[in-house]
Amino acid sequence: MAIVNLKQVTYTYPLTDTPALSKVDLQIKEGEFLAIIGPNGSGKSTLCYTLAGFIPHFFKGELEGSVEVAEVETKSSTLNEWVMNVGLVFQNPFNQISGAKYSVFEEIAFGLENLGVPREEINPRVEQALIMTGIDDLAERSPYSLSGGQQQRVALTSILVMQPKVLVLDEPTSQLDPIGTREVFGVIRSLAERGITVVMVEHKVEWVAQFADRVVALYEGQVLMDGKPREVLTSDQLVGKGFGISRYTSTAREAARRGLWPKKSELPVTLDEAITGFKK
Amino acid sequence: MHERLSFYLKRDSLLHSLNPLTKLTLAFGLTFVAFLSPWYWTPQFVVLIIIIPLSILGRIQREYIFTALRLILPATAFLFVMQALFQPIGKTIIFQFWFLHITRESLSFAFANASRIFAMISSFTLFLLTTHPSELMSDLTRRGLPSQFAYVIISTIQIIPQMQSKAQTIIAAQRSRGLETEGSIFKRIGALVPLVGPLVFGSLVEVEERAIAIEARGFTSTRKKTSLREIRDTGFDKTLRSILVLMVLVIIVLKIRAS
Repeated sequence: MAIVNLKQVTYTYPLTDTPALSKVDLQIKEGEFLAIIGPNGSGKSTLCYTLAGFIPHFFKGELEGSVEVAEVETKSSTLNEWVMNVGLVFQNPFNQISGAKYSVFEEIAFGLENLGVPREEINPRVEQALIMTGIDDLAERSPYSLSGGQQQRVALTSILVMQPKVLVLDEPTSQLDPIGTREVFGVIRSLAERGITVVMVEHKVEWVAQFADRVVALYEGQVLMDGKPREVLTSDQLVGKGFGISRYTSTAREAARRGLWPKKSELPVTLDEAITGFKK
Repeated sequence: MHERLSFYLKRDSLLHSLNPLTKLTLAFGLTFVAFLSPWYWTPQFVVLIIIIPLSILGRIQREYIFTALRLILPATAFLFVMQALFQPIGKTIIFQFWFLHITRESLSFAFANASRIFAMISSFTLFLLTTHPSELMSDLTRRGLPSQFAYVIISTIQIIPQMQSKAQTIIAAQRSRGLETEGSIFKRIGALVPLVGPLVFGSLVEVEERAIAIEARGFTSTRKKTSLREIRDTGFDKTLRSILVLMVLVIIVLKIRAS
């Protein structure tokens, strides 16, 4: 059962001529962890906004084709109802802090207050979400006193608490240092293990390979490849187009060209795979 | 980073448990009384007989006294000196030096004015120390204040320190490229120009992202908002507010009759 269903989606931003997405077909199954990779300007963020309903409700412009989540079309819904279907977390952690709240606990409750969830329900839901993402020790802190990695986890928790059917993460670690990146991926891994439907745009392919069920490569607004992580991430089709390619893949590809990589075995994405391959 | 962005102090007291609107009415009420009362010594009475006991009741007397001595007293003392010296009223000169002179009347006027301001800032300090800003805004929103308005106020207060640190970064960046920020007053003002562009335009770009972020949290939802905090509004609160409003009205009437 596909929970997300995109048919022939083409979208052009206002005041531009070339479409940011063109004829995108995409089905996502419930509980699937889908990673999206692509060079700058390939339409990754546009796809995220389309899934999250910001296109067509926030950004104007021309949207063709149909976008359905749980069998409801975005066009026939409103943005503030759509946020219960699809939750969006994006790059800059600082700009995702609402600024209206003085503690992390209140910050996470903000969305539930807006949706009119009764008070008796807000408290347990916030507590549960805090534990789920492992930031219960930050509950009383000011959201502005936190590190980037902590703020991004707060942003993620603020969306999770609203229990969307699909979680969209648009490069959640691109503005974080290595420690913050590890913290955020730790949470994302636990979400993947819980079987939450996640769509994640990410350049850090070594991480993608670890928990994605499926990878879609976008190029110039179109789906270039769609398949198993290893298959897509090591494909020759990505070479020279500005895709993020793991250094282990590149090294092994070069080694294979010189006959140093075992024939018929797949190229590696992660360090461990590379070690195993080179040992042979 | 700034951990505390409000003056609020969490304590367990009768004053803390009052409804935020009651405390706001109290702050405004005391200010009106201090300014409009026809009796000369009213502001001093307000501070000594009402505000100081209330600060003890609210268990914030130490912080209040500290603020009063460190902040309110120097500011009002400055005001007092300036007005005593430069108010062109009265003829009974009691002090004269060069072109400066103090008359009995200007002294009395300056003292009254400084006391009123002292009482006003004190009553609002009391309010800020005992009222959590989120509680105030939730309560006012519940009473019909548009949530967008409440959001603008609270987020602005929170964003000021962030803007300051961003301005520091921009200054450092411009200085590293040779911008002179020291020297004459004109040089210093001139140095601000390259700061304004990045700061203002940078903030405008951020506005879109922030809008997306709060939209993603259902900010414009048409459902009736709820609040995490339970804000009580007891019969005692309502009675107290009525008394305060009545008190202000009485003072206004007395003021009109006295003049």
